[in-house]
Amino acid sequence: MTEHIVSSFDNDLKELSRRVVEMGGQSERLVADSVEALVKRDTELAQKVIVLDGPVDLLQREIEEKAILTIARRQPLAGDLREIVAAMRIANDLERIGDLAKNTSKRVLALTGEFHPQKLVRGVEHMSGLVLEQLKMVLDSYASREDARALEVWRRDGDVDVLYTSLFRELLTYMMEDPRNISLCTHLLFCAKNIERIGDHATNIAETVHYLATGQLLTDERPKQDTTSLTSMPFPA
Amino acid sequence: MNFATDTSIDIASAVNRATAPSAEPKLKVEGLNFFYGDNHALKNINFDIPEKRVTAMIGPSGCGKSTLLRIFNRMFQLYPGQRAEGKILFDGVDLLSKDLDSTVVRSRIGMVFQKPTPFPMSIYDNIAFGVKLHEKLSKAQMDERVEWCLRKAAIWEETKDRLHTSALGMSGGQQQRLCIARTIAVRPEVILLDEPTSALDPISTSKIEDLIDELKQEFTIVIVTHNMQQAARCADITSFFYLGELIEVAASNEIFTNPREARTRDYITGRFG
Repeated sequence: MTEHIVSSFDNDLKELSRRVVEMGGQSERLVADSVEALVKRDTELAQKVIVLDGPVDLLQREIEEKAILTIARRQPLAGDLREIVAAMRIANDLERIGDLAKNTSKRVLALTGEFHPQKLVRGVEHMSGLVLEQLKMVLDSYASREDARALEVWRRDGDVDVLYTSLFRELLTYMMEDPRNISLCTHLLFCAKNIERIGDHATNIAETVHYLATGQLLTDERPKQDTTSLTSMPFPA
Repeated sequence: MNFATDTSIDIASAVNRATAPSAEPKLKVEGLNFFYGDNHALKNINFDIPEKRVTAMIGPSGCGKSTLLRIFNRMFQLYPGQRAEGKILFDGVDLLSKDLDSTVVRSRIGMVFQKPTPFPMSIYDNIAFGVKLHEKLSKAQMDERVEWCLRKAAIWEETKDRLHTSALGMSGGQQQRLCIARTIAVRPEVILLDEPTSALDPISTSKIEDLIDELKQEFTIVIVTHNMQQAARCADITSFFYLGELIEVAASNEIFTNPREARTRDYITGRFG
């Protein structure tokens, strides 16, 4: 797109977008580290995630302030307006993603010294791999303003939900097998839920990128396949 | 690419969306061409202006939007060498037809200009002057009419105690609101506003925008403005003109968030060189 007659407006928009990308990178890192901390029972790494969520929150506030100031100063329209609205919305999602990673890390600290068979964690690790891929792809789609990739992320969220539902059943089974697993599995369920919700935020971002690129709101119902709220398992006799 | 044929399709759909179900156009411009001598100022314009809606015309200086406004009001006929081709149907009657009396046209289609143009007479007479040309009213009726239109134009409180003092002593914003009052005093059907607030402070501007909102209940309003936000705020439909062509017409909430034409987008976002 050609540049604005007022070049400082271009700088404002570029700066806003640059900070969102930066925040995206930081949130992605937090998610990856929180899962690694969980898998490896690395309390030091978990502590680090908890501390580093602070700067992400700060960035979100900065982006919001900058966006509000730009609206007040420039009265943006059309693509410019969408650019600013998108920055604010994505920053909100990223801030939530950071919080969810932080929550996972807190659970790692709570699990210190617990009975901890490694196979129980595998499912969560696998699921987080998929979610991290989604997150990376959606952030790339924002950086390149690529609607097609955003839509791909949006469609694939169903896979995360399927995985979460099967993980939910798996963890219930472990708990029934051996009551010593209950504490760990309960925390793992929350961690899995955190990761599933990070996936939801990634699809929110995908919707925002779609709006940014095309000016259209994605109004179709997203394919939801998280059926855990309807799931129960009978205790084996 | 031929824009004229292209946009005419867009207009129909935009107007339908913005005004359904009462999509009957008050003014219907068909194949309009306009010339200042040899200068072809408007090129094959096809454009519907729906009744009791605010239609904004935007575009850079010299794009033809004010010219179009002047044609609606038949102002161009005052100048030799200016001519219009095509049709402008006003409730089905061609405004460009020679048989139509300009005075009658102007009482049904009123206009307010960029610069306030009060007559050098009292505030009261500024309004009564036009009314007397078209109607015979008693003193009481005239008083009532003057108060009605001053109230409508949100200037009654400021003028009620000085109705018989010169209008030239008013501030710019007050003069402009007086001009709007004068325009609606003859109860026109269409009001043409040519950058009505460009010389006004934000408070007077807000009052006039508020007035536009109220007036559209009864009148069809066409406004030319250089203020995008004003068009976005006030207008139901916005049209973008460039170099004498009508580039795009759409519901305002569409044109200001997601314009279809690259030239519209560049103009409203401040990218035009």
